[in-house]
Amino acid sequence: MSDPPLMKVNNLTTRFFTEDGTVYAVNGVSYDLYQGQTLGIVGESGCGKSVHALSIMRLIPSPPGEIVDGEVHFAGRNLLALSESEMRQVRGGDIAMIFQDPMTSLNPVFTIGDQIAEALLQHTDLSKKAAMDRVAELLDLVGIPDAKQRLGAYPHEFSGGMRQRAMIAMGLSCDPQVLIADEPTTALDVTIQAQIIDLVRGLREKIGMSIIWITHDLGVVAGLAERVNVMYAGFIVEKADVNDLYGDPRHPYTLGLLKSLPRVDKGRVAGTRLTPIGGIPPDLVGLPQGCPFEPRCPYAISRCRFENPALKEIDPNHEIACWVDVREAVPQEVTA
Amino acid sequence: MLTYITRRLLQLPIILFGVTLLIFAMLMLLTPYERLGLYVPDRPERGDIEGIIDHYGLNDPIPVQYARWLLGDDYLGTKEVPEQEMRSRGVLRGDLGFSFRGHQPVASALMQYLPATLELTLWSAFPVLGIGIQLGVWSAVNHDKLQDHVLRVFSIIGWSFPTYVFGLLVLMIFYAKWDIFPAGRISEVFKRIIEDPLLYTQYTGMYSVDSLLNGRLDVFIDAIRHLVLPVITLSYLWWAQILRVTRSSMLEALRQDYVTTARAKGLPERVVINKHVKRNALIPVATIGGLVIIGLMSGVVITETVFNIRGLGYFFADSALNLDVISVLGFTLFYAVLVVVGNLAADILYAFLDPRVRYT
Ligand SMILES: Nc1ncnc2c1ncn2[C@@H]1O[C@H](COP(=O)(O)OP(=O)(O)O)[C@@H](O)[C@H]1O
Ligand code: SF4
Ligand SMILES: [Mg+2]
Repeated sequence: MSDPPLMKVNNLTTRFFTEDGTVYAVNGVSYDLYQGQTLGIVGESGCGKSVHALSIMRLIPSPPGEIVDGEVHFAGRNLLALSESEMRQVRGGDIAMIFQDPMTSLNPVFTIGDQIAEALLQHTDLSKKAAMDRVAELLDLVGIPDAKQRLGAYPHEFSGGMRQRAMIAMGLSCDPQVLIADEPTTALDVTIQAQIIDLVRGLREKIGMSIIWITHDLGVVAGLAERVNVMYAGFIVEKADVNDLYGDPRHPYTLGLLKSLPRVDKGRVAGTRLTPIGGIPPDLVGLPQGCPFEPRCPYAISRCRFENPALKEIDPNHEIACWVDVREAVPQEVTA
Repeated sequence: MLTYITRRLLQLPIILFGVTLLIFAMLMLLTPYERLGLYVPDRPERGDIEGIIDHYGLNDPIPVQYARWLLGDDYLGTKEVPEQEMRSRGVLRGDLGFSFRGHQPVASALMQYLPATLELTLWSAFPVLGIGIQLGVWSAVNHDKLQDHVLRVFSIIGWSFPTYVFGLLVLMIFYAKWDIFPAGRISEVFKRIIEDPLLYTQYTGMYSVDSLLNGRLDVFIDAIRHLVLPVITLSYLWWAQILRVTRSSMLEALRQDYVTTARAKGLPERVVINKHVKRNALIPVATIGGLVIIGLMSGVVITETVFNIRGLGYFFADSALNLDVISVLGFTLFYAVLVVVGNLAADILYAFLDPRVRYT
């Protein structure tokens, strides 16, 4: 990729100042997103993925949240420095976002057609009627049968999969350059999940937008993303092209995630037991002194407890934040 | 939607039937002798009592008495139908019995006292529903800021202050001490005008309304001056209630995912709040709205007593204190019907507001 990136996230840092203390939700996240690229953001729940995405959209609830540092360069501007009204042009216009739970993300008291048209009316000069025609096209595009007849339907009349399709239609309505999808399939069952992923893959080819696909499931990202950022405790701990990440994972956390993934292929003997990572991610109240993964890490050395490693390039286009080279080190039993 | 409303409407007679049963049961708690006392004010001769009980069928089987109470004397088997002027036409046809305290049939007593109460209730309900809801929204949108704290204190006080204490306090300060606002419904001067049919027509019995219809601004101002204190007393509790419910309902709706979706579409905050949040938050508030009106109408018993307003509440208190059971039960039946119809209206409104209800 020799073109300049479409979006450049630099040192994005978001905190929540709550009664229980400061939550360090996103800690200096940086990455580039290119035109037409699909970027996966992977990590267990509570690792700051959603907060990072909402920070880009400037939709962090404040108080208690605050973006305390960083820039998001997009189309020659720093989104974090825009006025609120300029930012509204970006939201839903240049950058669209869809959410995890299609059951709760649509407003129950307005029709599907109305809710999608709303975005169009906000960002274009279309008349109400023209907007509705466009909505019908969009619903058709995302595979909702009898789209014209469904414009007047309420969300509760749609199944979960259909609602997520409607959400995608809403996201695509104003031809955004970037679509941020925050765990869009997590709330759906497996077959529907596969359908939605197929749909997005097809749409991406048709439309050519960039996608930031957030998930806790490395398996989902494999078939979709070209590049992957692995997030842990508000930090990006590994960045790699998708093949390198699966073929040559280098961060102990990524290794752990892969080991807990059910898959049968040449890399692993079929029937190998799944080993989930022991313990849970930290609650992010307070910043750890050392590597945040240290309490759960089978490769940890004493240094890890006192110094948090920064991201460093280990191969071209492959960065990790770790003191240890997992190819040489021997994993230990973790007694957390 | 239509089926939902039809079903609710079909339930109405069943519920009302239950209401009449309950009220009739209260009447039946009294012995025939006691009930006789309700109908015959002056003490009859000892020997006559059994005869009168028999004459009016007060010892008949209960279903027979119920049917007679409901449908009237000429409908069902009284051995001897009472003399014309003593004959009951039955509750169903609006004959609630004779009120000794009101010196007239209960139904016409209720109609006589209704306008004062209605006036008080309407002047309370509109500000509560119109302004109270807006304040609740404002409070939630400014969550934890100064406005919110002030309104919450205002609401907690209203919530915890007994109406009769509050009423007396208000009366003490504004009437007894400063003499700004008078008690009663109207000043003596204007009372004479109002009661003069040549000068003035009583269209509705509500002074504030009639005065405008008669083009008498002076009467209007006097009526309003009399309304200020009772309206404040009667409605404070409901200001507090509606504020609390609206605020918490708004805060709840503000937390929902669809609000983030709306913002992510690039909608201005004004649209997010006024369309997406408010439309959801007001669904529970609408239901409370029906209860507010019913609650206000019930609250008049204390308020009218404190401020000496001759309305339904005054009539009820007076009847109860003088053991006028027939009037009390008539009043109760009237209010019960009001509550049932009010709830029905709220339910139908709810169905209009929440598309999820329409299909269940
Ligand atoms: N509104 C909020 N107030 C306080 N803490 C929050 C808020 N939203 C998220 N957090 C915290 O930020 C951290 C990251 O959350 P999130 O980004 O939702 O994780 P993920 O999307 O990776 O599952 C969590 O510790 C969460 O508790
Ligand atoms: S820095 Fe240490 S604790 Fe952190 S992941 Fe690497 S080995 Fe594990
Ligand atoms: Mg999340």
